[in-house]
Amino acid sequence: MTQDVLRGHEFDGITEFDNRLPNWWLWTFYLACIFSFVYWIHYHVLRTGPSSLQQYQAEMAEAEAAALTQVVTDEDLTAKSKDSAAVAAGKAVYTTNCVACHADNGGAVMVVPGQPPIQLPGVNLTDKFWLHGGKPADLYKTVTQGVQGTAMVAWGMVLGANKCQDVVAYIMTLRNTNVPGGKEPQGQEYVGK
Amino acid sequence: MSSTPQAGDPATAGPSSRGPGRSDRRPDLDSLYCINADGSRNKIHTADVRGRYQRRKWVLWAILIAIYLVVPWILIGGKPAFLIDIPRRHFYLLGNTFNAQDFWLAFFVVTGIGFSLIVVSAMWGRVWCGYGCPQTVFLEGVYRRVERFFEGNAAKRKKLDAAGVTPEKVLRRTGKYATYLALSVVLSHTFLGYFMPVREVVKAMAGSPSEHPSAFLFVLVFTAIIFFNFAWFREQLCIVICPYGRLQSVLYDQDTVNVGYDKNRGEPRGKHNVEGRGDCIDCHRCVAVCPTGIDIRNGTQLECVGCANCIDACDEVMDKLGQPRGLVRYDSLRGFEQGQRRFWRPRVLLYAVLLLIGIAVFAVAITKRTAFEANVVRVQGSAYTLDGETVTNAFVIHLVNKLPATTTFSVEAIASAGVEWTIPLPSVTLESLADQRLPVLAKFQRGRLKSGTIVQLVVTSEDERRTVDVKLLGP
Repeated sequence: MTQDVLRGHEFDGITEFDNRLPNWWLWTFYLACIFSFVYWIHYHVLRTGPSSLQQYQAEMAEAEAAALTQVVTDEDLTAKSKDSAAVAAGKAVYTTNCVACHADNGGAVMVVPGQPPIQLPGVNLTDKFWLHGGKPADLYKTVTQGVQGTAMVAWGMVLGANKCQDVVAYIMTLRNTNVPGGKEPQGQEYVGK
Repeated sequence: MSSTPQAGDPATAGPSSRGPGRSDRRPDLDSLYCINADGSRNKIHTADVRGRYQRRKWVLWAILIAIYLVVPWILIGGKPAFLIDIPRRHFYLLGNTFNAQDFWLAFFVVTGIGFSLIVVSAMWGRVWCGYGCPQTVFLEGVYRRVERFFEGNAAKRKKLDAAGVTPEKVLRRTGKYATYLALSVVLSHTFLGYFMPVREVVKAMAGSPSEHPSAFLFVLVFTAIIFFNFAWFREQLCIVICPYGRLQSVLYDQDTVNVGYDKNRGEPRGKHNVEGRGDCIDCHRCVAVCPTGIDIRNGTQLECVGCANCIDACDEVMDKLGQPRGLVRYDSLRGFEQGQRRFWRPRVLLYAVLLLIGIAVFAVAITKRTAFEANVVRVQGSAYTLDGETVTNAFVIHLVNKLPATTTFSVEAIASAGVEWTIPLPSVTLESLADQRLPVLAKFQRGRLKSGTIVQLVVTSEDERRTVDVKLLGP
């Protein structure tokens, strides 16, 4: 081609050349055609690939299976309470979210110099007594699901499972430290670690 | 093409010669110079040029490149001067902090940029493209200089392209592409520094890619894009991809100042000092220095990025000939045809009014931005609990400090008859962009208050006091 090709139409004096697209551009088109053909054969003709619905169902099944294995046991939490990284992470979560009701030392009493101690709504986490069960898994349930009618929020929705486990690990290091000036015991005594 | 081709124009008339590799090919209005008739690439070898606009560009580009490289490192009050932290939704700008709740302000940024581009091109053509666009700054200011260093001037580069594989060619090309790659790595890491604190980027670079997979992928992809763009794609980005050039025909008017050729003075072009000839000696210097491969004498074309190379090239030639400069110059269509320039015209006034409206709306909007968030949400579960005759409503106040400084907030209740409040943590100190949830309990005797009664909490920061409504529910 040495001559520019003029298309045979004219509108209000405007004519159009038929110049060739850059080759790289044509190649993007050819490759898209090849890809779509392979895609169509793979997913829609031979059905060797999963359909969107099958993918969705597979992912849901996977999530359900994962949820089943994610039951947090006493052993898991006990192991975590001995992991200093988890305890440190739990302490950070505690400082941000829990001190409001349980005080920074876990005693659930706020001490303001020159004023009588203020009883916070939380329970004393440093004694042996628990209102909603003292087993590690019970603590985890209380943290994640909360206690209706109290300020104990269902933290699972807010923090996610990992942070909840960390904070339980931290709380397990607090128990039986019996901080001075802590709140009166409430609930059942729990003997065990 | 959005130009004003004239029938019988010597530059556009006649059969074109666009065979692949034809050395006699000249730019015309009917085709893209950077694409041959068979669709292959016609590589443009831009000739060197000196002049006043080049000097201005060099100074400006040095400043712009320095800004690009330095900004991620600047801290203001311990916070980045500019950082868009997308995963955490924290945005830092010149000592101010923004979070996701402020995202609506991005509307003003985007429309402001769009409006500025429109106004600037209506007034002064594509000055953005020629002087400020990163594509131009890095291509002309960095990559083409590297190419010049390794492969010599335009004639040498052309020869090297045509040559077969020789040790010299391999050496020069390797040097060029290795430098390109190193530069692209620097540019892409700096770019990442706008989205991730740059000191963390440096730390991540020392670690394994598996520790920061997304950052690594980001850098990998951007290095590849930058390298490909500046090594090969080049002016095609401006011509084929960027929509801005296509807009120019609707943004320009008779008075838009642009790079152009003075046809009245230059034509008919030809040999110097011949009676009846114009000032253009048809030396093709303006074509040789054009980075997008056009002939400016064909009029305004969408390929033109307004780099002013042709102005400097022509001025140099005119100086040598002892002719006045400005055969190719910045002027408006009216200026080229009638020798007049007009700045104040209805659209300029309209743009000014629109600008004032935009600034006013933005000024009002920015005052609506709050220093902190205080959202009261009811604790999940039941709406209230009944213990004997006592009704308890449990809430959580979600406090977010949006100020750049650490701030102490306090929460108190406005006394309301019959309501007993428990606010376990009435005061909390939050770092910049930190948040905390504070529980609040409200108790009242059954029957004492109607369900739906609105009571108030007050959240106080160091210099703001905000009242938040809380609805009490009961049986």
